[in-house]
Amino acid sequence: MGLFVLSETSAGFALFKADKKVLKKTEGAEVETAEGINGLLKLKHFEKFDSAATALEEVASLVEGKVSPMLAKLLDSLKDEKKASLAVADPKLGQAINKLPGLTLTPVSDSTTNDLYRAIRDHLPSLIPGLLPENIATMSLGLSHSLSRHKLKFSPDKVDTMIVQAIALLDDLDKELNTYAMRVKEWYGWHFPEMGKIVNDNLAYARIIMKVGMRTNCQNTDLADILPEEIESAVKSAAEVSMGTEITEQDLENIQLLAEQVVGFTEYRQQLSSYLTARMQAIAPNLTELVGELVGARLIAHSGSLMSLAKSPASTIQILGAEKALFRALKTKHDTPKYGLIYHASLVGQATGKNKGKISRMLAAKAAIGLRVDALSDWSAQGEGKGDDVDEEERSALGVKSRSKIERHLRLLEGKPLLPKGVAVGPNGKPATPGKWEIKEARKYNANADGLAGDETAADDPKLIEEVEEDESDSDEEMPDVDAGLGLAPPSLNGTKAKPVAQKETNGTADSVSSVSDDSDDDEEPAKQWQSSILGNTKEAKKARKVERHERNVALAEEKSKKRAERKAKETKKAEKEEKRQAKASQDGKKSGSSAPSAAPVDADIAHAATLSMSVEKYKRKLQDGQISIVDGTPVKTSKKDLKKQKKQEAKAAEVQAAASTDSSKKRKHEDEADKTEKKKKKKNKE
Amino acid sequence: MAFTPRGGGRGGDRGGRGGFSRGGDRGGRGGFSRGGGGDRGGRGGFSRGGGRGDSRGGRGGRGAPRGGGRGGAGAKGGAKTIVEPHRHAGIFVARGKEDMLVTKNLSPGVSVYGEKRISVENSSGADDSVTKTEYRVWNPFRSKLAAGVLGGLDEIFIKPGAKVLYLGAASGTSVSHVADIVGPTGTVFAVEFSHRSGRDLINMATHRTNVIPIIEDARHPLKYRMLVSMVDVIFADVAQPDQARIVGLNAHLFLKVGGGVVVSIKANCIDSTAAPEAVFAREVTKLREERIKPLEQLTLEPFERDHAMVVGRYVRSTT
Repeated sequence: MGLFVLSETSAGFALFKADKKVLKKTEGAEVETAEGINGLLKLKHFEKFDSAATALEEVASLVEGKVSPMLAKLLDSLKDEKKASLAVADPKLGQAINKLPGLTLTPVSDSTTNDLYRAIRDHLPSLIPGLLPENIATMSLGLSHSLSRHKLKFSPDKVDTMIVQAIALLDDLDKELNTYAMRVKEWYGWHFPEMGKIVNDNLAYARIIMKVGMRTNCQNTDLADILPEEIESAVKSAAEVSMGTEITEQDLENIQLLAEQVVGFTEYRQQLSSYLTARMQAIAPNLTELVGELVGARLIAHSGSLMSLAKSPASTIQILGAEKALFRALKTKHDTPKYGLIYHASLVGQATGKNKGKISRMLAAKAAIGLRVDALSDWSAQGEGKGDDVDEEERSALGVKSRSKIERHLRLLEGKPLLPKGVAVGPNGKPATPGKWEIKEARKYNANADGLAGDETAADDPKLIEEVEEDESDSDEEMPDVDAGLGLAPPSLNGTKAKPVAQKETNGTADSVSSVSDDSDDDEEPAKQWQSSILGNTKEAKKARKVERHERNVALAEEKSKKRAERKAKETKKAEKEEKRQAKASQDGKKSGSSAPSAAPVDADIAHAATLSMSVEKYKRKLQDGQISIVDGTPVKTSKKDLKKQKKQEAKAAEVQAAASTDSSKKRKHEDEADKTEKKKKKKNKE
Repeated sequence: MAFTPRGGGRGGDRGGRGGFSRGGDRGGRGGFSRGGGGDRGGRGGFSRGGGRGDSRGGRGGRGAPRGGGRGGAGAKGGAKTIVEPHRHAGIFVARGKEDMLVTKNLSPGVSVYGEKRISVENSSGADDSVTKTEYRVWNPFRSKLAAGVLGGLDEIFIKPGAKVLYLGAASGTSVSHVADIVGPTGTVFAVEFSHRSGRDLINMATHRTNVIPIIEDARHPLKYRMLVSMVDVIFADVAQPDQARIVGLNAHLFLKVGGGVVVSIKANCIDSTAAPEAVFAREVTKLREERIKPLEQLTLEPFERDHAMVVGRYVRSTT
């Protein structure tokens, strides 16, 4: 039942033996003096480090909390001790010792041992005979130097520093490159000022200078490998008439040296960029997948290393780079910034308005998770060799998944249609494979084609007529005429103009005939006959309108006319007694049809729709007779008036209906249009 | 408030956390520009407060002749300047056109970070052979300890022969002066976590054998327990939110009972939202909880903004 105390010094391991009570005594005055501590502790063994190299090795493993072979050997000497405890300074080392096989020691490392170690540290030279204070000093000096050097040499974030430096250099290069290129343009611009306007690309500009030299050489130099043909010819023609000053060969030489620098730097920049991409892909595949290698590298550079970035919470990652704004906001109690470096990630760039902040937050959260995988997984750069069998795709699987998740969410927020799962999205936010988008474009194209026929409302009417056409399948040939009519006058005028025309017709000489013919149309007379009459009318431009009105009337009054027909059929039944007269009238009608070609359809109508036409004839006759006209005439007349009124009403109703239908169709169209514009907008946004 | 990278102007080459970041944010010595004597050109007025960003200006440089550069300045300055010991042992004051804080150079002929050196021909003894003593100018704009000394700290505990645990050593500019003060009999344990500035620290330490460089996180003092002996004083310049805790941890392990604690507190690094005074007060209470009895608090006003120096004594026993 004893207590052993393990003390590590820069000179070696010291193992003391003490009473267990010693831990309770450490508060007192006994440990304050060298004698006191010497009375409490007895040196059991002192294992000295042979050389600086072993010292370094041993201490390095101690720092990591591992039991070195030397320490294990020392502890092995305590194998026989039963129920003994061992005071260890570092709890981590204590755990490691506890795991050693064959040891029955219970390591103690808590606040009680702390005082003990303070005492030992204070009186080390007196506790270990033969160890002079100077020796300890030199040993610790040498050890500290070698340990620090070792630490720097095997720095865990050595890979990160390459990225940090590379991204810093990339930024510097961009800056420098711009300065140099501007200088080249400025300088050579004195000689050939026109070229600056023609050739915008810095690299091409510098290359031309290197190749051409004096502008007078422009004509006989082949610039095909630098410039596209049209620009080349533009440069050459500009060189002919340039207003630039002459320069000497010496001047040109210096300009060309600078141009050489620009070309060289540009090439180096490209190479560096690809190097950075490769490096980022290797050490932080998930981060790279989520935010891109440039932003990822900047994030790493900003926090110092991949590991420290991985340790930071998502909220920190989100506003990394916006410290100034953050602290200003914290001080003034305003809203803290929503994004820092992460703003430049493509996902955040795709979002608009308020969604930018949301996406930035989500992206930061996912990036934090991805980073932890990157930094801490077995196949990361730290676990060298272990991850050789893991391919890149598997490494960045998490990143890809999270990215598509955020992508989906972004689309949801933005009100865009969701992409089907598994659709790869390019950096510009567009799906790499043709998705729904193409279909929509096709629809848009159709709409445009419709728009070509007229303006919005014009596009409405054909629909209406189409419906009519569907109802009345036999009037196919009429359509072109109708279309022509539509093309001639705006449809809004159509309705208003149609009315007077109809009135004119009714007011005209053949009013009864036309009205009859109208009515007879309702009664499914052969299309040919009245169509022919219309054809005759269509010779004049205005007649087309009439045709249309006619058509509309026909279409919309169909049902009512049917009803009327039924009603009139009843009437005819009632007037069965006049059947004979009917037959006669039919003959008369035929006669009248032959006599008046204009009334031919009327005759036909009479022939077909027997009831009404008969009544008209009869009415005429009675009118001529003047006897029955009062008795029967009034109802007939009224009926006629009614008919007219009805017709008018019907026309009005038809108009109203048409208007309603157009309205509805307009609405539909508007909705369609709205849809389309929305889609367009989205498309724009996407782009 | 656990936002890690503090201070906007820090060099990109340093670890955000962990690195006890200093060096980049003060003075002008960020990155590669070590500015020679020339960069101090147009200054030279008495604008002490405004000299914060100036790398080499400020009080330190003003007295010495300008044209001479490093080597020449010593001899030339020596003719005119008289070096007197400061109230604190190991620190001297060079009185010329301007008064400067200087320390005796432990490795004569070498400047650590491009600071001026003043060579004095045995001004104190003056009886037998001529011995030259070289002093290095200690710029209070770059070293908080120097600012504290100039500000009039009563006790800094750092004296010849003392053992100092220096937390947040950075590149070792201040450490070199502390090493000068403690002299060959003393020891400075310089702890710095950042590898980048640790590199400079190690280079500095190769010229000064009383400096023991430790590249470790001061949060884990057990990791360097085998290197550090019991010390007389802990100087902490770790601009970290948990600074008081870090100091406490190290004090419990390494600081002698009755030893001194000198802590430089940057208010912005603890809590950027609260008033600096409140932050200082809070830190002092935290230090008290770590059994460090505060003796003195001083703002480093003309030299640093919203900084305070707190000096305390480690009183281990609770009784």
